[in-house]
Amino acid sequence: MDFKLTEEQELIRKNMREFAEKYVDPIAVEIDENSRHPAELFQKLAEGDWLGMPIPVEYGGAGADYLTHVIAVEELSRSCASTGFTVSIHVGIAAMLILLFGNEQQKQKYLIPLAKGQNLGAFVLTEPGAGTDIMAATTTAVLDGNDYVLNGTKTFTSNGPTGGTYLVFAWTDKAAGRKGMSAFIIPRDTPGMKAGEHFNKMGLRSSQTSEMVFKDCRTPRENLLGKEGAGLAMAMTGFDHGRTGIAAQSVGILQAALDESIRYSKERVQFGAPIARQQAISWMIADMATDLAAARFLTYHAAWLKDQQQPFSKEASMAKLFASEAAMRHTIKAVQIQGGYGYCKGAKVERLMRDAKITEIYEGTSEAQRMIISGNVLR
Amino acid sequence: MPTIIACFKWVIDEAYIRRGFSGDLDFSSVDYKISDYDRNAIEEAVRLKGSHGGSVIAMTVGTPEATKGVKDALSRGPDQACFIADADFNKLEPSQTAAILADVIRSRIVNYDLILCGEGSSDLYAQQVGARLAEHLEIPCISFVQKVDIDGGQVVAERRVEEGIEIVAAPLPALVTVLPEINVPRIPGVKDTLTASKKPVMTIRKGDLAPLGGARLQTVGMTAARMDRICEKFGTEAAEITRFVDALRKKAVIS
Ligand SMILES: Cc1cc2nc3c(=O)[nH]c(=O)nc-3n(C[C@H](O)[C@H](O)[C@H](O)COP(=O)(O)OP(=O)(O)OC[C@H]3O[C@@H](n4cnc5c(N)ncnc54)[C@H](O)[C@@H]3O)c2cc1C
Repeated sequence: MDFKLTEEQELIRKNMREFAEKYVDPIAVEIDENSRHPAELFQKLAEGDWLGMPIPVEYGGAGADYLTHVIAVEELSRSCASTGFTVSIHVGIAAMLILLFGNEQQKQKYLIPLAKGQNLGAFVLTEPGAGTDIMAATTTAVLDGNDYVLNGTKTFTSNGPTGGTYLVFAWTDKAAGRKGMSAFIIPRDTPGMKAGEHFNKMGLRSSQTSEMVFKDCRTPRENLLGKEGAGLAMAMTGFDHGRTGIAAQSVGILQAALDESIRYSKERVQFGAPIARQQAISWMIADMATDLAAARFLTYHAAWLKDQQQPFSKEASMAKLFASEAAMRHTIKAVQIQGGYGYCKGAKVERLMRDAKITEIYEGTSEAQRMIISGNVLR
Repeated sequence: MPTIIACFKWVIDEAYIRRGFSGDLDFSSVDYKISDYDRNAIEEAVRLKGSHGGSVIAMTVGTPEATKGVKDALSRGPDQACFIADADFNKLEPSQTAAILADVIRSRIVNYDLILCGEGSSDLYAQQVGARLAEHLEIPCISFVQKVDIDGGQVVAERRVEEGIEIVAAPLPALVTVLPEINVPRIPGVKDTLTASKKPVMTIRKGDLAPLGGARLQTVGMTAARMDRICEKFGTEAAEITRFVDALRKKAVIS
């Protein structure tokens, strides 16, 4: 057993920390408040190869392992959970699925620009009537000559308004059930595909979320990703990767909550002593630090399994479930530690608490993770 | 085309040093980094290579664990590294470090044009290594440099001195110690870090060097700096404001 990161992983973590302190921290409050996508920041991320970390060099990426990607998402999320998530869904799911299931032509055309960060990827699965129950989806893709024609409405698409390459899931044969959904790579500005207004959310505000409406949207047959009918299985593979990323995002949020709690509790004096001297406060911090360590190990283990080419589905769900719930639990405590000041805009913990909530919802709610994990261990 | 040597020190990142309750320094969870101004030296060497061609050698004296530092340096653009490593090299004095660097440069780097060092290190800031190294090699040394370029056979540098800016030139080979104002060091990209270990590293051991002179300094003790807060209240009447200004003057906050 070896708990040591490689020197490269340690250096990349340090570089990302420096990057985040220099470019992300100064705008984190503003992009949250204005719900703004910081295009200029993503330009910088692209220049440092941060948007294509786990994609091989020949496909425009940096050729890092998945654990390295996860560490970078964690460090980025420590400064801004929205930015960390955007990177995670862009490369951890969208680019990753094209790498795993795309043909050579698709990789040349779509993966390289994604890995180079020339545009952002999106994962378009959820529908207004189909969240946890994905089988209730109604969007269809019908083959007409050499084109598939898509009709339906998707919702909660991250990078919807700002994306360049969309992985869209639709029924090609509803009757075939779990083997009836297919995935398509659809570039921005394809006629018939339209992103809606960016949602006004509680947290994760600078990540752009919208509806995606498909109205007789024609996409050539060559844009079918993988085989017809393999869509759902590919989506599940995407989730294994994505959930590991959400776990990393949660670990980053939790680390930030701990940083803030330590700093504040040592500075804030009440009853003549820093509040950190009160056991009520110091035990909150002890629990926070302990859950952070546990969440981080679960997360790194899931990523490590992926890098060893071993199954990591259950571990990704466990990491996501534990880390996200720990992030929520402890960001509430972090606000508590800062009292009234923590409740006000401008306090980092206030943003952390709002951002933490989403980690328990997307890429499968906590309830969905428990279904997956119990299904796995009760088998 | 110039051969440029950039010297760097792998030091404790002071951000990780914690202050114990009794004022002692806690080094138990420290991480290391390239000394701040040395990052500027490496950056400047790579920048000069960008405009004049040639090659850059990153050179360090340290303990064998400093391999991470060597990779960090190489990820910032140098072509190769020279790593002078020994377990005994964790508490070298500036005079010893300078002697080791001089020995290696003299014996192993045949033709060099320019040596860049940081003005001082983040840990000791003794400002000794650069000047001593130049003295050993019998080459000119230009310190406190905030701008540098190579022009034909000479180096032209802007020194920031108390009275203003001094522009000086010296024939190559020469040594320059740089200030942080000289550039903004890059943040290496992911690929830069991942390919750093593919660059050549010349590793030199203590046994390959001339015998080392003894230590001259003695550390007597080390404690955290203490910051005492003084809280004094002032009113808003004219007399109180005068007293306030007077207090600030006595503390040399204003003059
Ligand atoms: C900010 C944001 C970004 C998102 N990004 C994307 C994206 O990029 N792509 C994408 O496709 N989707 C995305 N989503 C959608 C997200 O994955 C879904 O919101 C999530 O899967 C839950 O679906 P739902 O909101 O419809 O809730 P529902 O499925 O309606 O769930 C409501 C509640 O019921 C519970 N529940 C449902 N079924 C069961 C059950 N069988 N047993 C027990 N409890 C159950 C849920 O856990 C939840 O608590 C995003 C959502 C948000 C908010």
